[in-house]
Amino acid sequence: MTQNTSVTDEPPLLEVKDLKVEFDTYGGSVQAVRGVSFSVEEGKTLAIVGESGCGKSVTVQTLMGLVPMPPGRLKSGTATLRGRNILGTSQIDGQDFRGSEIGMIFQDPMTSLNPTMTIGRQIAEPLEVHRGWSHKKAFSRAIELLEMARIPEAEQRAKQYPFEFSGGMLQRAMIAMAIACEPAILIADEPTTALDVTIQAQVLDLMGDLQQDHGTAIILITHDLGVVARMADEVAVMYAGQIVERGSVDDIFYRSAHPYTVGLRAAMPSNDPSARRSLIPIEGSPPDLFSPPTGCAYAARCPYAMKICSTSEPPPFVVGQDHFGKCWLHHEEVAGGWEKILSGAPTLLTGAKMARASSPLAENKS
Amino acid sequence: MADQPASVSSLPDPALQMGAFESMQSELRVQTLTRPSLSYWQDAWQRLKANKRAILSLYIIIAMLLFTVFGPLVWRVDPAEQDLLQVSSAPGAERSAIIVAPYSAWDALEAPQIADAQDADAAAPASVPVNITDLQLAETATTQQVRLEWQPMAGAADYAVYRNLVEPTGPGTFGLPLGTTGSKETRRYEDLLDLRPGPLYYSVVAMDALGHELPQSKTLRVNVANAITLDEAADRQLIKPGETRELGSQVNFALHPMGTDYLGRDMLALLMQGARVSLFIGIAAPMLFVLFGIVYGSMAGFIGGRTDQLMMRFADFVVALPFLLFMILFKIAFGIGPGESGIIPLIVAMVVLLWPATARLVRGQILQVREEAYVNAARLLGAKTGYLVLRHMIPNTMGVILVTLTFAIPSAIFTEAFLSFIGMGVAAPTASWGSMSNDGIKSMVTHPHELFFPALMISITVLAFNLLGDGLRDALDAKMRSRE
Amino acid sequence: MLLYALKRLIQGLITVWFIATATFLAMHAVPGDPLSGAKAMTPEIRKNLEAKYGLDKPVSQQYLIYMGNLAHGDLGISFTQKNREVNDIIREHFPVSATLGIMAVVFAGLGGTLFGALTALYRNKWPDTVIMIAVILGISVPSFVFAAFAQLAMVKINGAIGFSLLPVAGWGSVSHIIMPSLVLGLGTMAYLTRLMRSSMLEIISSDYIRTANAKGLPPTRIFMKHEMRNAVMPVVTVLGPAIAAITTGSFVVELVFAIPGLGRYFVQAVQQLDYTVIMGTTVFFGAFLVLMVILVDLLYGFIDPRVRVS
Repeated sequence: MTQNTSVTDEPPLLEVKDLKVEFDTYGGSVQAVRGVSFSVEEGKTLAIVGESGCGKSVTVQTLMGLVPMPPGRLKSGTATLRGRNILGTSQIDGQDFRGSEIGMIFQDPMTSLNPTMTIGRQIAEPLEVHRGWSHKKAFSRAIELLEMARIPEAEQRAKQYPFEFSGGMLQRAMIAMAIACEPAILIADEPTTALDVTIQAQVLDLMGDLQQDHGTAIILITHDLGVVARMADEVAVMYAGQIVERGSVDDIFYRSAHPYTVGLRAAMPSNDPSARRSLIPIEGSPPDLFSPPTGCAYAARCPYAMKICSTSEPPPFVVGQDHFGKCWLHHEEVAGGWEKILSGAPTLLTGAKMARASSPLAENKS
Repeated sequence: MADQPASVSSLPDPALQMGAFESMQSELRVQTLTRPSLSYWQDAWQRLKANKRAILSLYIIIAMLLFTVFGPLVWRVDPAEQDLLQVSSAPGAERSAIIVAPYSAWDALEAPQIADAQDADAAAPASVPVNITDLQLAETATTQQVRLEWQPMAGAADYAVYRNLVEPTGPGTFGLPLGTTGSKETRRYEDLLDLRPGPLYYSVVAMDALGHELPQSKTLRVNVANAITLDEAADRQLIKPGETRELGSQVNFALHPMGTDYLGRDMLALLMQGARVSLFIGIAAPMLFVLFGIVYGSMAGFIGGRTDQLMMRFADFVVALPFLLFMILFKIAFGIGPGESGIIPLIVAMVVLLWPATARLVRGQILQVREEAYVNAARLLGAKTGYLVLRHMIPNTMGVILVTLTFAIPSAIFTEAFLSFIGMGVAAPTASWGSMSNDGIKSMVTHPHELFFPALMISITVLAFNLLGDGLRDALDAKMRSRE
Repeated sequence: MLLYALKRLIQGLITVWFIATATFLAMHAVPGDPLSGAKAMTPEIRKNLEAKYGLDKPVSQQYLIYMGNLAHGDLGISFTQKNREVNDIIREHFPVSATLGIMAVVFAGLGGTLFGALTALYRNKWPDTVIMIAVILGISVPSFVFAAFAQLAMVKINGAIGFSLLPVAGWGSVSHIIMPSLVLGLGTMAYLTRLMRSSMLEIISSDYIRTANAKGLPPTRIFMKHEMRNAVMPVVTVLGPAIAAITTGSFVVELVFAIPGLGRYFVQAVQQLDYTVIMGTTVFFGAFLVLMVILVDLLYGFIDPRVRVS
């Protein structure tokens, strides 16, 4: 991740630097991603958090070459997988890294699978393409994968079509498909948003178990801090196309370094009955990305905004081990800035604690 | 960020000013949304305006309606009047005519020519021309007559005369055989056959005694001028009453900007009349069947249950009828009495056969809207049925209905044209664009304008309505509004 | 699936019955009842007709006789021609129309799918623009105009090259089929192209194509196995109406190109007011179209698993 921890020469599994993506529309160009950098290490889970339209999906879809260009446009940035560039190409050494090195699952499993092809065939496809397996061999592997994804009667199920599956089963089939070629990274773009709460847990557990078994790194895109608490090792909080805070999951929940993170936490329902409180919405709406503000993008909604916030963009202030926040309150001239930030959400600590405690997975990892 | 970690203490920032870290005034923070809120129709109209093709189509349709309604006021020519002087004349055809004396037989044809011929035969072989010479006009060529004369050649027993519109390139390309002179003595020919203004190529071919054509021939290019007699010109009011004009002076024929048809009727006036018929059928029939469809469909939708099932099953049957065959069948069944144009039976047949599509659509919309959460919400808030219909049902079905109507118009125009084309549409003498096309196709090769103009009118109108329909569909589709 | 087919077939039979009844009623609504009015009939034909249609009996009886004949597959006898059965006429002329129609449907279907896919793939580039302009023309220009201009153009081409590239009119050889079927299929092809384009555009931007890309499938495989297969579905659903459109379009094309098909015969019968032939052919065409729609529905069932399974 940050240079402070890169003690070995070996490059991180995935490293993204200064990614900027724009979209040309009739109204002008939308700056959807405005300089995003992060890295992912093997076997770890990075959660990218933020509200709708903050650019988190565009970021990962750009990496995967799924953003149609035009209207999308890559303005700057690099992305390397094990030191090799993947940006602007879908090929590494003449082979498509998508599906083989990086697997991806999407928000809505009901529409993300081809309605006229059997589930088994769709899972077998990456194996046929990337490994050159025969129809038959790939299909029998697809059945095994479905079993791994805890789909009962996998053999019959493999011959069925998506409309015969329930949403949760489809998402598990999607996971089976994404990990068919045992990729090093699994990108999950809001994998549980479209699912029932009970099924969400099943899908998250499946992802967690597969990660343990295969050592897959996961990039988890979500706006659900509960999911973050349960799954993530590292968290990047995105706002208006930028990462405004980056740190370990504990940093984010216990030592938030950005008022937006605090706001997000305050807006999250708690499952701790002792911490009864009303949800606190973040007033206002995100800035217009046609013409992003010159200063801090969050300034207009920030309760602690200072004059400088509207004139110049805050740099990432390092506040701890692998932990930074892009907020002027960390400047040396501001006395007690961090305390101010943390004062926003006192009761949330218990909520986050509970969420973590309820997940055996999270305990194992931390 | 990650590559350039900032340390809290060593931050040189030029932007830092005195008081930079003071708290900001709250009024600075509030962001306003600037997009004004628009009603459904305002929004739809704005979207339509942004669609250049749709707006252009709208202008074309308006122009077409103006042409139909006000055209006959500006161009006051009776579409039924026949201009026999200019039958099937193309637009831009020569209009000036020479005033000529009434036709009289060509005396020279009867005059003895033997002396000349004997002279030619008697002359020394060296002086006898080996080909026809001096092929020329005996007088000015007009549409009344073309008179040719030539010098004989040795060995010719007879002469054949041909006429062509294009320049002949050799034997076999002389064109229309007009006739033979019948003897070697006659070396004049008079052509009276269906003459039209413009260039013509006359060829005279020598023939032997057995009636075989000899290789010798001569071709003359003749520019035929329009001709009109003084009496006729006076009849047709081409010259003022009482005015005397000399023979050989010029007059102008009546103007037909788009030419005339095979009966000499003015194409522009006919097109206006045809527009009235085609557009009336094209607009009235869809309006009626859409209206019927709305009533039928909303009734089925509102009542629901078994009635709905039955009504819709009946609609299914009507849809299954082979449309054009039944149009024809109904046309026959309703019958066309003498002197009737056949417009009403056509419209009735269309209404009887075409309502189910709209009915299905409206029923579907009503059922859908009725179940929408916002209608339920309104109902829970105590909205009366009248309010629901006015505020929710109509705005949410009007768009779809309007689009259906816009697409139904071109298909009705097409249907009329199609039926008229196969002779089952409007009855003569009423002209529609379809029946004009039907007439025009017969003389398509020689007078393409008679097919081209009505076909063009149909195509432009249908095109405009189709493009407008596309634009309306995009503009009125409420679901599209959230996209973008 | 078999049950579904059977159900559709029974529905079809009821529809045919409805068509036959409507035809019968329409014909008997003709002022003066031409069937019994007898204008241009020889006594021989008249006797035949009376026997066949029970013209001396009340309308309700006539209807029963007519339906009884239909049930035996007997469509009646000609009103104007002696000893000419409608069945014979259909047997003689329908194969010509069917050949022409099948060629036109194949041409329209293949062309529409291909051009539609092409325009979607080259969206807003020149192939899209060119094809869509042609499509707009194809939708807006009546078929008889196309037929006339195609004929005129072929006259000129044949004249210019000095030999007959394609015959201008008539029937009999393979070369006679080409131009009329092209003209006949043109309007439908334009419509199908439009449909295929919008269908393809929708599918290209669909979630499962994004998934296919995320799986790293090669573009050709995505196109063939994922995009085409799904995009062609709406095209198949409208094939039934398309066949109907082409059948009626064949009236004009057969007329212009002087093809001895059933359509031309029908138009002639209409002009001669040969009521029984009109009735017979209408019922036949109606039944044929109903059958086609059923076949297309069944075909759709085979393509779309959602229909096939349920």
